[in-house]
Amino acid sequence: MARAIGIDLGTTNSLVAHVDERNRPRVVDAEEGRPLLPSAVFYGPDGAVEVGAAAKRRAPERPVDTVLSVKRFMGRGPGDVKPEDRGIYAFEESGAVVKLAVAGGTRAVTPIEVSAEILRVLRRRAQEALGGPPGGCVITVPAYFDDAQRQATKDAGRLAGLDVLRLLNEPTAAALAYGLDKRAQGTFAVYDLGGGTFDVSILRLDAGVFEVLATGGDTHLGGDDFDRVVARTLMERGLEPRHAEPSPAVLRGAVAAAQRIREALTDEEVVEVEVDLPEGHRLRARLGRAELEALIQPVVERTSAACRDALRSAGVAKVDGVVLVGGATRTPLVRRHVRALFGQEPLTDLDPDTVVALGAAVQADALDRGGREDVLLLDVIPLSLGVEMMGGVVEKIILRNSTIPASATQQFTTYADGQTGMVIHVAQGERELARDCRSLARFTLKGIPPMPAGIARVEITYAVDADGLLRVSARELTTGIEQQIQVKPTYGLGEEEIEKMLVESIEHAEEDVTERFVREWRVEGDRILASLESAFRIDGELLGPEERAKIEDRMRGLRQAMDGTDHLAVKAWIESVDAASKEFAERRMNKHVAQAMAGHRVEDLATSLAAQPRVTGSKEEDLENPER
Amino acid sequence: MTCWSCQADVSEGTASCPSCRKLQPVGRGEDYFSLLGLPREFALDVSDLERRFRERSRLLHPDRFARAEPRERRLSLERATRLNDAYRYLKDWRLRAGYLLRLAGTDVFVEGRTYADPDFLEEQLEWREELALAQADGDAERLRRIATDARERLGRLEDEVARRFADERWYSDFPVDIARRLSRARYYDNIVADAERASGVAAHP
Repeated sequence: MARAIGIDLGTTNSLVAHVDERNRPRVVDAEEGRPLLPSAVFYGPDGAVEVGAAAKRRAPERPVDTVLSVKRFMGRGPGDVKPEDRGIYAFEESGAVVKLAVAGGTRAVTPIEVSAEILRVLRRRAQEALGGPPGGCVITVPAYFDDAQRQATKDAGRLAGLDVLRLLNEPTAAALAYGLDKRAQGTFAVYDLGGGTFDVSILRLDAGVFEVLATGGDTHLGGDDFDRVVARTLMERGLEPRHAEPSPAVLRGAVAAAQRIREALTDEEVVEVEVDLPEGHRLRARLGRAELEALIQPVVERTSAACRDALRSAGVAKVDGVVLVGGATRTPLVRRHVRALFGQEPLTDLDPDTVVALGAAVQADALDRGGREDVLLLDVIPLSLGVEMMGGVVEKIILRNSTIPASATQQFTTYADGQTGMVIHVAQGERELARDCRSLARFTLKGIPPMPAGIARVEITYAVDADGLLRVSARELTTGIEQQIQVKPTYGLGEEEIEKMLVESIEHAEEDVTERFVREWRVEGDRILASLESAFRIDGELLGPEERAKIEDRMRGLRQAMDGTDHLAVKAWIESVDAASKEFAERRMNKHVAQAMAGHRVEDLATSLAAQPRVTGSKEEDLENPER
Repeated sequence: MTCWSCQADVSEGTASCPSCRKLQPVGRGEDYFSLLGLPREFALDVSDLERRFRERSRLLHPDRFARAEPRERRLSLERATRLNDAYRYLKDWRLRAGYLLRLAGTDVFVEGRTYADPDFLEEQLEWREELALAQADGDAERLRRIATDARERLGRLEDEVARRFADERWYSDFPVDIARRLSRARYYDNIVADAERASGVAAHP
């Protein structure tokens, strides 16, 4: 039977591994006797495509036609690509997906296609090593990849002719390789600092069960950032001739030199460099380890908040071990930082460059055989999934760190009288307001029968599969109208925004919560006041004069509270209005249900109603919603 | 019920067919408790719950069915999803209590909200003020103490809820009483989360 393979599709390097006859995972030589295949793709003007070290060597003189770190563009729309990532490349702006103009401007390729070139080479290498075409395949992704990035990765695998059995989170893959190798038990942190992404996961290992408790990270932080800051300093010190704004080719040459210096400083105290750069430039500089550390310290420090947050979310005060993954964790400063953060010496028994691919191979082999009796991976969704509410607030439907596959259903109601449509805006992220989250999809549920506000019941169900991919369905309960979409986003935020989003969600949590509460309760207050006023007009006869006076009295109190900024006061008044009008609402509901059943035109009921559909949903359950 | 694959008799609540081992759809009558083989009770041994969850996950998880026929793959996804949802609900006492009330026909939301009382809201304002002051002073020690105190309140609420569920005489006001405590627990949960985030330290389980 064809053997399954595991692929680590990295920002800087990619690897492929398989499980051998003796049940041991092994990496395959990708080129020049090394397992690491540089994630570089060169597009020649004659249509030739080169991948790996050969392509990387082309980069200095052909920067535009040599695509490096393509992982940063995965799942991104043209509007998402940030200036510092665009740098060297030429982009095609038309269409929904990013396209890079390569081969001297004669060809436009998507990041998915570029990644597929890398995957094709890995598949060929595996085929040579295995003596036949590989069977199923597992591709790893950063735990913090969102829905769009995961979907793009899966598409690249298919494009490369691979049978993608599963997407696996990189830290989980590392934990699997490590845990099986060391027969580890207890709670572990996996600190994964790669070329372009940072992930941290907290896992509990127990009798072959690998349960991810929490995950965090930053999809725009890695060793590349070290090289960028070091390159800047090197150029300030010794670029000849001097340039305030060096060309892309010069910049890329300097970054490559910075990477070599950084790696050399792992063992040396001082390194001197003297290299020729394109366009007749020369770089001559000297850098000590202490200087390097001072330069990269701020970048390393950016990993701290995510680590603390992951520990807090996991409900864990300390861990039994910390596993290091990713080439950037070889840097001595990073190791010291990890030691201080987690209060212990990190484990480095396994090669941080290959451990993810080894874990992926173990999982691929297990999936191909219909699972392993002795191993079970329970992974989580990295970012909460929600729906935008009236007022721009996101109501979270599935919370981050929920074990996948997972589903959740919530009921919503209409905001305005006679509302016949509801826009369902799917957002991913931790911030409270939709504009701060990643927008995944937007669709409209149409055909809600016009009813007084708050009567219609729309049920929204989110379901996340074992790859972390989302499907959303919406159903209007009184009519049974249903719409379902596989969320396949074609637009969204750039990594820079995601990164900002993640850091900010930690820093601004407090500010968010207050802003959210005030907005939320005002919206809720408005809704209740408007719906009661319209109810008085339509069904005033259902109320006695005393009853009505009591309700109106409390409505006045609510209006006053809404002018202030104390959300608890607004909430308390809403509750009192609610209590006073509960019976009235029940009488109305009975009346309208009876009328609807008797076949009355619902429009007859809605004299004062807005003619055009009002779009945003309003939440029926609020703070008391049990799952939050 | 009959098995979709081999037509053998399958009783409701059985995950896989006793004769051909194929996964069966989740029955209409199943709830989060029955999915884990537990009685509908609030009292629960967490390590037993964990053990049951893992045992069932090993059998149902989509990892075991990556190479199965599409229908079984779909059933595995459905069953594993329901199992994860059930575990998420039952391991958290607040969700578990709310779920039990819903099974018994009480609308937790409406009940909890109608009965929110001004004294409690007043007290919450004081907690919030204390939290804001400690945060403004950057006093990590005080923030940790606030978190500890709020956790202690949560513990008490859990005990009170447990006592009501355990009471043989199920008074008609119990659901409302429990719903009110669940509503209060949310306030303390928020205080714990905010205080811990502000103090910048890891939580204790």
